[in-house]
Amino acid sequence: MDPAPLRQHRRGMDFLGDGLRRAFNLLGSADAEVYGIALLTLKVGCVATVLACAAGIPVGFILATKKFWGRRAALTVVNTALAFPTVVVGLLLYGLLSRRGPLGGLQWLYTWQAIVLGDVLLAFPVAAALSAAAVQGVDPRVRRTAETLGAGPLRAAWTVAREARFALAAVITAAFGQTVAEVGAAMIVGGNIRGATRTLTTAVALYTAQGDFGLALALGIVLLLVALVVNVALQLLQGRGHA
Amino acid sequence: MLELRGVRHAYDGRTVLELDAFALAPGMLTAVVGPNGSGKSTLLRLLALLERPTAGAVLLDGAVVSDARRRPATRERRRVTLVEQRPVLLRGTVRDNIAYGLRARGQSAAAAASAAAAAADRLGCAALLSRRRHELSEGEVQRVAIARALAIEPDVLLLDEPASAADRAAAQTLYRTLAEERARRPLAVCLASHQLEDAYRWSDDLRALADGRLSPVTPENLFRVVLPPASADGMTHAPVGSLAIALIADRTGPAILAVPPTDIFVSKAPVPSSARNVFSGTVSRVARHRPGTVHVTGDFGVELVATVTEDAARELGLGPGAPVTFAFKASAVQVF
Repeated sequence: MDPAPLRQHRRGMDFLGDGLRRAFNLLGSADAEVYGIALLTLKVGCVATVLACAAGIPVGFILATKKFWGRRAALTVVNTALAFPTVVVGLLLYGLLSRRGPLGGLQWLYTWQAIVLGDVLLAFPVAAALSAAAVQGVDPRVRRTAETLGAGPLRAAWTVAREARFALAAVITAAFGQTVAEVGAAMIVGGNIRGATRTLTTAVALYTAQGDFGLALALGIVLLLVALVVNVALQLLQGRGHA
Repeated sequence: MLELRGVRHAYDGRTVLELDAFALAPGMLTAVVGPNGSGKSTLLRLLALLERPTAGAVLLDGAVVSDARRRPATRERRRVTLVEQRPVLLRGTVRDNIAYGLRARGQSAAAAASAAAAAADRLGCAALLSRRRHELSEGEVQRVAIARALAIEPDVLLLDEPASAADRAAAQTLYRTLAEERARRPLAVCLASHQLEDAYRWSDDLRALADGRLSPVTPENLFRVVLPPASADGMTHAPVGSLAIALIADRTGPAILAVPPTDIFVSKAPVPSSARNVFSGTVSRVARHRPGTVHVTGDFGVELVATVTEDAARELGLGPGAPVTFAFKASAVQVF
């Protein structure tokens, strides 16, 4: 091999290796900043997922089971919103939350609540569209059976949800993934303030830009671990696979 | 008790059911028979208050409970229950399934489980209580679904082909259980079936559906045809399989033909008469109908059913494989 590209290749490997070593040292030394960022990310992700699913899953149920004027248009809107760019959501929210904006009175700009709001806006279409698809995938006889046996609307919906539990767990996982992985809205409305609104993704973006590759990589690994823990917890909640 | 008045039901603009009146009375078992696609399942879903009619109304004890604008309340739906042709069991054990309706009515888990065990016992599925749906055969699922429906003690029980997956013995157990249940309390039962013999044997009232309308005659000898223009003598010859049935009609195009079994004259060989329709073939089945009468099914390329007295059947030697001639007048053929 030509010596110049070989040297470049070795430098790249060293760079990655140093980064990984640094990442594990940081994780092993219980770095307060890293754990603070991870905990904030987990808090924001959990709160936003709960809110987005609490609103989005019932909307998905309604879209899947009720016949009403404009239902197809609503489904199209929700499906389109899945591809909404996170920075655009951040910009819109910035306009709403800034001091002169209609929600300026809340004084949420550059707080973790603003990041939650942005994440809810991004995860809501995920929860609504995917839960609508999950419910549509359930045999329609299940709902009819529940109703003809005397179930009210809530019990009938719960019976359908039990049949679609694996798909609905995937909805929650996808919504959580959306909230912890997005960076655009969190950066714009959170401001990436150290010790206050710095999440794992905004920190990775910052430290990469600053050339602190090890710290960025460490935070990336923590992000993956957080996602892994939440997924394992959800799988345990689903119970065993029997009918 | 439960009735349809002036009901029309359409899917995507296509009318699938049109009934001026249809009523179920307490303590009566009404059988609805008809070919696939005749509207039986739609009729049962409307009666079960699971769908609202496009036009007309469903009434319960004389009060409108479901129409195009009014959604039935849960307490009204709880008086009626439907067992679908291919019932589905919900997640959980057979016990959970049978107890489901009782739990939905607010019964405690212990009371519901005890009632579920009693209902399962009546349908001969007590041994299945701890099993889950994937551990059951199709026939067992059907029995559990009927036990689940009986457990809630509805005022109206609707059954769509309840014995379609059952063997003969299981079907008889089912009908006997229904008879016991009706003897115990004024339960109205409506069952859709294509098994005419069971329908005749167990029902108090038999209705035939064809193309979403009630047939004015009994369900045998119903044919979907395309009427050609009348010939010069004013007679229409409608093709039914390999037969051409002579009839009097004032229209052409798609129609349903009905030949009432009691209007068919049965003999061993053709005899001179005014009948325009004379078909010779062999007897394929003879079934006892009501006391004193039998249904004779003749194979003429197309099966036709005639009703004769037991004495006449004996005198003519009507048994499977025996030669037989059916004759009926063109004016006996009903077109609708």
